[in-house]
Amino acid sequence: MSEIIRRDPRREWIARNRLHPDHASVLAEIGGVQVASEWLGPNGVVRKNPRAIGFIGPSGVKRIDRSGLQQGGQATATTTAARESRRTVTIDQPAFLVAVVPDLTGGRLSNHDKDLLGLARRVADADVEQPGAVVAILFGEHKGEGDGELKKQALGEAGIDRVVHLDDELYAGFAPEARLAVLSAVEREMTPRFWLLPDSPLGGADLGRRLALRLGERAATGVWQIEADDEAPLGWQCTARGAAGSLDIQRPLPRVALALAECAEPVDETRHAAEPLSLVDEIPTILSRIEDLGQVAVDPAGVALAEAEFILSGGNGVKQWDAFHHAAKVLGATEGASRVAVDDGFMARDRQVGATGTWVTARVYMAVGISGAIQHLQGIQRCDKVVAINLDPGCDIIKRADLAVIGDSTQILAALVAMVEQQRGGQRDAA
Amino acid sequence: MLDTLLPILIFTALALAVIGAVRRIRLWRQGRPSRVNLLQGLMALPRRYLVDLHHVVGRDKMISNTHVATAGGFVAAAVLMTLVHGLGIAKPLLGGLLLLASTSMFVGSLFVARRRLNPPARLSKGPWMRLPKSLMAFSVGVFLITLPTVGLLPEGLLEGGSSWLLALVLAGVVAWGLGEMFFGMTWGGPMKHAFAGALHLAFHRRAERFSTKKGGTGRSTGLKALNLEDEAAPLGVEKPADFTWNQLLGFDACVQCGRCEAVCPAFAAGQPLNPKKLIQDMVVGFAGGSDAGYTGSPYPGKPVGEHQGAPNTPIVAPVVMKEGKALVDAETLWSCTTCRACVEECPMMIEHVDAIVDMRRHLTLERGKTPNKGAEVLDNLIATDNPGGFDPGSRLNWAADLNLPLMADLKQVDVLLWLGDGAFDMRNQRTLRALVKVLRAAEVDFAALGAEERDSGDVARRLGDEATFQTLAKRNIATLDQYRFLQIVTCDPHSFHVLGNEYGELGGHYQVRHHSTFIAELYEAGRLTFAPWKGGSVTYHDPCYLGRYNGEYEAPRRVLKALGIQVAEMERSGFRSRCCGGGGGAPITDIPGERRIPDMRMNDVQQSGAELVAVGCPQCTAMLEGVVDASAEVRDIAELVADALVERPADDVSGVSRRTVAATTAEEVAL
Amino acid sequence: MQPEQQQKQQKQGIDVTVLVSIGRHPITGRARRAEQDARGLELALAMEAELPGSRINVLHAGSQDVDSEVALRSYLGMATGVGMGLESMTLLEQPDGSDAILPLVEHLAATSPQLVITGARAERGEGSGLLPYALAEHLGWPLVNSLASIEKVENGVVTLLQALPRGQRRRLKVRLPAIISVDEAAPAARQSAFGPARRATFSVSPTASDADSELAQWHLSPARKRPKRLKIIKSASARDRFKAAASKAEGKGGQVLTDVTPEQGAEAIYKLLKEEDVLR
Repeated sequence: MSEIIRRDPRREWIARNRLHPDHASVLAEIGGVQVASEWLGPNGVVRKNPRAIGFIGPSGVKRIDRSGLQQGGQATATTTAARESRRTVTIDQPAFLVAVVPDLTGGRLSNHDKDLLGLARRVADADVEQPGAVVAILFGEHKGEGDGELKKQALGEAGIDRVVHLDDELYAGFAPEARLAVLSAVEREMTPRFWLLPDSPLGGADLGRRLALRLGERAATGVWQIEADDEAPLGWQCTARGAAGSLDIQRPLPRVALALAECAEPVDETRHAAEPLSLVDEIPTILSRIEDLGQVAVDPAGVALAEAEFILSGGNGVKQWDAFHHAAKVLGATEGASRVAVDDGFMARDRQVGATGTWVTARVYMAVGISGAIQHLQGIQRCDKVVAINLDPGCDIIKRADLAVIGDSTQILAALVAMVEQQRGGQRDAA
Repeated sequence: MLDTLLPILIFTALALAVIGAVRRIRLWRQGRPSRVNLLQGLMALPRRYLVDLHHVVGRDKMISNTHVATAGGFVAAAVLMTLVHGLGIAKPLLGGLLLLASTSMFVGSLFVARRRLNPPARLSKGPWMRLPKSLMAFSVGVFLITLPTVGLLPEGLLEGGSSWLLALVLAGVVAWGLGEMFFGMTWGGPMKHAFAGALHLAFHRRAERFSTKKGGTGRSTGLKALNLEDEAAPLGVEKPADFTWNQLLGFDACVQCGRCEAVCPAFAAGQPLNPKKLIQDMVVGFAGGSDAGYTGSPYPGKPVGEHQGAPNTPIVAPVVMKEGKALVDAETLWSCTTCRACVEECPMMIEHVDAIVDMRRHLTLERGKTPNKGAEVLDNLIATDNPGGFDPGSRLNWAADLNLPLMADLKQVDVLLWLGDGAFDMRNQRTLRALVKVLRAAEVDFAALGAEERDSGDVARRLGDEATFQTLAKRNIATLDQYRFLQIVTCDPHSFHVLGNEYGELGGHYQVRHHSTFIAELYEAGRLTFAPWKGGSVTYHDPCYLGRYNGEYEAPRRVLKALGIQVAEMERSGFRSRCCGGGGGAPITDIPGERRIPDMRMNDVQQSGAELVAVGCPQCTAMLEGVVDASAEVRDIAELVADALVERPADDVSGVSRRTVAATTAEEVAL
Repeated sequence: MQPEQQQKQQKQGIDVTVLVSIGRHPITGRARRAEQDARGLELALAMEAELPGSRINVLHAGSQDVDSEVALRSYLGMATGVGMGLESMTLLEQPDGSDAILPLVEHLAATSPQLVITGARAERGEGSGLLPYALAEHLGWPLVNSLASIEKVENGVVTLLQALPRGQRRRLKVRLPAIISVDEAAPAARQSAFGPARRATFSVSPTASDADSELAQWHLSPARKRPKRLKIIKSASARDRFKAAASKAEGKGGQVLTDVTPEQGAEAIYKLLKEEDVLR
């Protein structure tokens, strides 16, 4: 077919004139089967017919979906392409450095780490003319997704320009003194303008405070918001949680800041270089007064209910308690129970959830065979997501549940256990 | 020969009894001082015994009559015998009376013996099993030796040389009788109850408990305050000697009849508490020794003989000891629901609950050993003024749409509505909404304290935390002092009791009414009209803190009657009502037993055949509703009333405008 | 090591200083014993029970007034036995808003305890949790955070269990003197009893103090609620964003799966668990 686009001014005119009797049919012709809402105008400009787009929503109101997906296949392809293409950014001559020490929990950047890197990017990219570079100091093995280049890409996509990676036995486990020595060396060699660490217990919270004291800085902790402020010494003002989360402290952002999760949006539009760097000087070996003897096996069932983030709770409807305990173990959930299960002697009293037991704050609360007495529902008020497995679709817990599965709890738990075990096995093979 | 022998016997027994009495009194005097008007107490003794005590004993007519015959006979016989045989005033008239008295005693002792043939489990065995024989020995002995005195037998019958043997045998029988009745009375035999019991009645620590000629109410149920100003005073009872002397005396008065054991909900639930054993342990404690001699039912799950104590050693072991135990285990004390069923039943007027709370006070205030959720609840009460740790500002959240009038705005109303901590409980909020609807329908001028209200301190006090109770009480009193109201109405019997009976000692005197009483009054004043009852059969559960603590058994029943409900009474109702298990912080301390108290109560409900159980207490509602697969629905009286409300028929013109206002507000409430 | 020798070692006990602060109830804001500090004291008391002869010194730097005294006494109320060493506490008196670090460092250097236990962060004021680190840096002692329990002390080395997320534990050996900080992972503090709290005494020593001038310049306000992060699907289409928002609204009502096979039900649950990231 010819490449030349032949124009039909009359048709175009009809397409523009929504009062024309042929308007709809012409539009349909242009757009194929559907009524076109978008076509190439006479000057090569895309024209849109706002009235042709949209659909009637469930409440009878017209809704407009601006994603363009309505118009057909090719639009989808472009958006998907756009989604996958990240802008590659390389900062060769950084004006300054922002040092970030991610937790790298389990060898991967945690969500908290990614948020923090997002914050670092905000600080580094504040001045477009003179961007700073984000240098990440990583301790321990970096597992990432895949190998080699892919791993590096994961770091780059999180917003890291430079990487100092120390994968040595010395820094494994609880080694705050050795890690602090590295950070001191980085400070000496690179003198970053900012040090950002996640304020996460057993990660940045500890190391960051040590670093702050070593550097003689009064760190801002629990930072959850920053905004540019020309009057502040370093150009930023921050809002930090104080007094056990009951205060907001607004103060100039100091050199060392420990930020909370969700302090900023993670990087999602750019990909950075994540170039490896190494330290020039030998890091002085220090005689540690803390010796890590390794992790101790702990029964997950022993975790205090009030603090557990994932609770598998059993009630009157649980018939096979062994299977229930097994499921809790496989899922890594803390066990809870309704009052009835406790009274009947299946569970210990300290496992009771509810107004008369423990008030729980779990992220996911899974109620198995619990009908949901009012006291029980009170006790789980502060849970984020409630999953219920119950035979009776009419009981009160179903009304509270975000997800309810009606059926035999033993079978469903067994299926869930099988599924989790299978996934685990798969993951291990891949790793 | 008997003429010489008898005075010797009698006066020896009397002398030994006096020595024993002095020893016993010294044991009691180990306790802390307590101000008692001794003379007044002794003067009041006959009335307390004949009226108040027999009011309790008289609930069992058989035993009551048995006791009248036996005890009356014995007292008369003892006095007359001392006169006739001891002092030799051998007048035929006295002798005849003595014969009568001993006959009466003998008849009584036959009934005592009959009861001992196949004694119920609640009775103690051991020495008590020989008591009927001793009684018979005494009465028969006295009868026989008196026969010659009256002349029914020749004077010389027992004088002759041939009758030596007979005389000796008689003297032996009399000696046995005297030994049990006189010597045993003060040296710790079963007859101790007569001696200690009489003095206990005279020097009772709650003199106000007894009726007076002027017709006093004879009710004293509020706990006594600790003096926290005095830093030297012990905080509660650590060792037996920390009880006041008249409390120790009270323990000694126990007849081990086991009526307390029979009604104790904790005992029935298999929790490690038996009120009778507890009182006997206290006796063991101040006398020193082990509980091995105890012959009644043990604490469920705890064998007898492992515990021992002394007047000045701790009652509850400070740390869990590896070998041997102290007098009482802490869980025994924490099993009590403070339902007062034992006190109500006790024919000796012993105050079990006072003793238990006294010992709990030590555990909480000195040792910080309130079990299970106790510590958390107390911390919450201190920090947030409510046991659940809720934001005190959210006390009125349930009423956000009700536009409740507040005292802070009105300053002066007829009725102050006391919400209680049920205001934080979703179930009880339904009751409160119903009550508000009723009050509005009756056009009552009322207001609530709202966020200014605090926990009444009931739970803190029953858990032994007197300090927190007094802090809460004083702050509540200070709040209430700012406002003017005629009376307080509450749907929480615990608040009702504490506000009405326990704030007085701290300077807060109020006219408090339970909502059932108030609704009954409103109805009787014609301010409420009800639609006829259409539901099934209904029973009523008496809350302990309304019934036994405050004697209000009738008003709730009057309300139910007004609703057209025929109450199908449970076997245990009124003053014998079985506790729901929710009082005294028992759900908080949560001592495991074999059964749950509310389950047993729900069984009672089932046996009454009722489909619905009406209650008047948030605790009872919570406990009874917590029963799985219950056969009956649990509704508060306020809810039943609110459901049955109908607009009153127009009777006068002036009422019309007011009524429409009331009707709209009631509708709003219903929304 | 010979058992007897070990016992002798154990009998010696050590000097422990517990730093306590005045807490703040999260709902009512009333003064109370600080949660973490109380757990620290609990840890010390538990250690004393294991290691008789240990001496516990409770130390607080701050002002003395009615409210704070009640709060401080509630620490001492945790002594529910005779001779637990909580009959009195040391109070380094300084006005509110002063920097507590230097007086504490001086006091600790002078009294030289072998172990200092402190809560991870304060419930009032800045509450940055920097204090334990400042002490460690100034005194040059090792510091271990997030302690779960003290296992044993021998030959000047303490064996500890450190709390890791989700109830996991790590065993550490630390050379004394050391500072350990305690957060919510440590065992809950025992009840504070009224009697011992009332009887306890304070030994007050006034300290030279510098006002915390930096803190005074900051703007403090009650914590605002943090905006809940929406599941933003950036750079993706508006349709996805719309769907994300719509499905969230849908989730409010709760999804009920009836007539599904156990496998389907399990799969739905599995998906939710994955989404919430609770499976590890």
